[in-house]
Amino acid sequence: MIGGGFSAPAWRGSLRLRLLLGTLGWIALTIVVAGLALGGLFRQHVALQFHSELTTHLDQLVAHLIVDENGQPSLSAAQSDPRFSKPYSGLYWQVDRLDSEAGNAVGLLRSRSLWDDVLRLPADTPGNGELHQHRIAGPDDSTLSVLERVVSIEGAAGLAGRSFRLVVGADEQQLSAPVERFSGMLWLALGLLGLGLGLAVVIQVWVGLAPLKRLRGALAAVRSGNAQQLAGRFPAEVQPLVDEFNTVLAQNAEVVERARTQAGNLAHSLKTPLSVIANAASSDTGELAQLVGAQVELARTQIDYHLSRSRVAASLRVPGARTMVAAVLDGLLRVMRRIHADRELELVVHPAALPAVFRGEAQDLQEILGNLLDNACKWAGRRVEVSLAVRDGELLITLDDDGPGIAEGERQRVLYRGERADEQVPGSGLGLAIVVDLTRLYDGSVELAESPLGGLRVRLTLPAAV
Amino acid sequence: MRVLIVEDEPTIASQLAAALGSAGYAVDRADNGIDAHVLGSNEPVDAVILDLGLPQLDGLTVLKKWRAAGRTMPVLILTARDNWHEKVAGIDAGADDYLAKPFHMEELLARLRALIRRAGGHASAELTCGEVLLDTRAARVSVGGVMLTLTSHEYRVLNYLMHHPGQIVSRSDLIEHIYAQDFDRDSNTVEVFIARLRKKLPDGAIETVRGLGYRLVGP
Repeated sequence: MIGGGFSAPAWRGSLRLRLLLGTLGWIALTIVVAGLALGGLFRQHVALQFHSELTTHLDQLVAHLIVDENGQPSLSAAQSDPRFSKPYSGLYWQVDRLDSEAGNAVGLLRSRSLWDDVLRLPADTPGNGELHQHRIAGPDDSTLSVLERVVSIEGAAGLAGRSFRLVVGADEQQLSAPVERFSGMLWLALGLLGLGLGLAVVIQVWVGLAPLKRLRGALAAVRSGNAQQLAGRFPAEVQPLVDEFNTVLAQNAEVVERARTQAGNLAHSLKTPLSVIANAASSDTGELAQLVGAQVELARTQIDYHLSRSRVAASLRVPGARTMVAAVLDGLLRVMRRIHADRELELVVHPAALPAVFRGEAQDLQEILGNLLDNACKWAGRRVEVSLAVRDGELLITLDDDGPGIAEGERQRVLYRGERADEQVPGSGLGLAIVVDLTRLYDGSVELAESPLGGLRVRLTLPAAV
Repeated sequence: MRVLIVEDEPTIASQLAAALGSAGYAVDRADNGIDAHVLGSNEPVDAVILDLGLPQLDGLTVLKKWRAAGRTMPVLILTARDNWHEKVAGIDAGADDYLAKPFHMEELLARLRALIRRAGGHASAELTCGEVLLDTRAARVSVGGVMLTLTSHEYRVLNYLMHHPGQIVSRSDLIEHIYAQDFDRDSNTVEVFIARLRKKLPDGAIETVRGLGYRLVGP
């Protein structure tokens, strides 16, 4: 992850977390608001219905009220709703007589559902025809919502007029029960919806961001040397990025290749005139000729050394290079067998078919192994052995020969540039120095030791590709 | 022994031709790939020194064409391009040895001798036939330990015969292998060289096989 000193919250670091938190937050907010709004709407609707039902019942009561000559009220017909007849059903009516002289008669007539209870209303007196609504305590510790109306009846034939208070009440339970039931269902449904949406979001984020994961895999493959380009098709939003990156990779490789070719061309174009000078000088034995010969040799070693160095420095910039070790060894062994045909050497590789892969350029491995093998073949008596192993991401290559070997004190020295243990065997003497440089640039190592075959053992460690 | 030098740099080609000439080889020269291909395909050269960067047709292609056509003469690649992958490509194309420029002329001559010797199936640098001993490294001939003085052409004829002991070598074979292509050949001169050699060598060393040619025989 990016620097530990960063105190940014986790969600800023992760695209996935950001998308999830954002979307899920919105879904939750929307569902809560929708739930509250729908619940309120339903409550309002039920309350209106409740009120209109009470009004209807009260209107019915008013219509059925008749008063005889003695001023006794009665009902011309029973109330139609059966709940008025069932005790404590929650729907009640009552008729009170209001009389300032003889006193109020509360509960003069009342619904059967009230049984022996009466509705006690606050002492207010609505004007004739006015509707008043109250919340009062009802039977069974219930809370009632009541609607009252005062009706004045003109006294017939000289009798005094009378006022009656007609009351209809209903248990508020009847209002809240359906609301609660509805709310329960509503929240359950919204909860399920939220859950579904949340799941969809999680899946979408996962599926939507999958190409990024694939991209990361492709990049890792380039980095580890398993690929030279980002492979595969990506969605239209990501593909331009991938194409650009691949172009940069290709350009990089091309620039490196061109630089390498030019360095090579320069070096090789110098070598031909050097050959001419050296050959011209070799036919003379004078002081000048000797000087020329020595300087040509020096120039040649310098060219070889710096050419191979520049090549390697460039090639390291090319990511994704992989080289089959066995193929390189095969090619080099063919060369050795041909070039050293006179020597009748036994060249052995074991295990012969190890599928080891070097994480780097084929040419570099060829340079390293070519120089080492050539040295081994020059010095060997009869036998040269190469053994391969891969351990912990490292390629271990051991070369043994049965030649004279190098004394322990000399080994360090011959690894340095331009030094030869013995000037007798032809060769630039830079072979080992180039090998040391190349392996170092690949973070590898070269060690010299005594071989069980009697000669020199070279132990080479290089990065392996998985 | 006839050697084809394929080199487009004229100075190097001249130096090579001079060195090979004084070492007793007949030298043909080509300075481009097309000529090289024609010469190597049609002339009975005993070895080729081949540069890789050639005009018209590059050296590797020429070499592959020769090998595809069944030409088996030894080829030494002499080039400034001496990376190992180039050496592998050269050997895989059919080269027998690889020498990088700048080179030592002595090393080139030594490698060329070894190639020609190996091509003839000879393990040693010294060829013997009876009392006659020919040292290819020093271009010297001795009979029973006594040095012979041979002219360049006498040496060439004997050298070729010594590389093919017991085999019948026709006059035209000898001409092909001791003279370069552009040399004014006269088949009678071969008879002159053979006659001179017979005087210097033990009796009966060179047989005449009537109508076919000559044969070098041991004791």
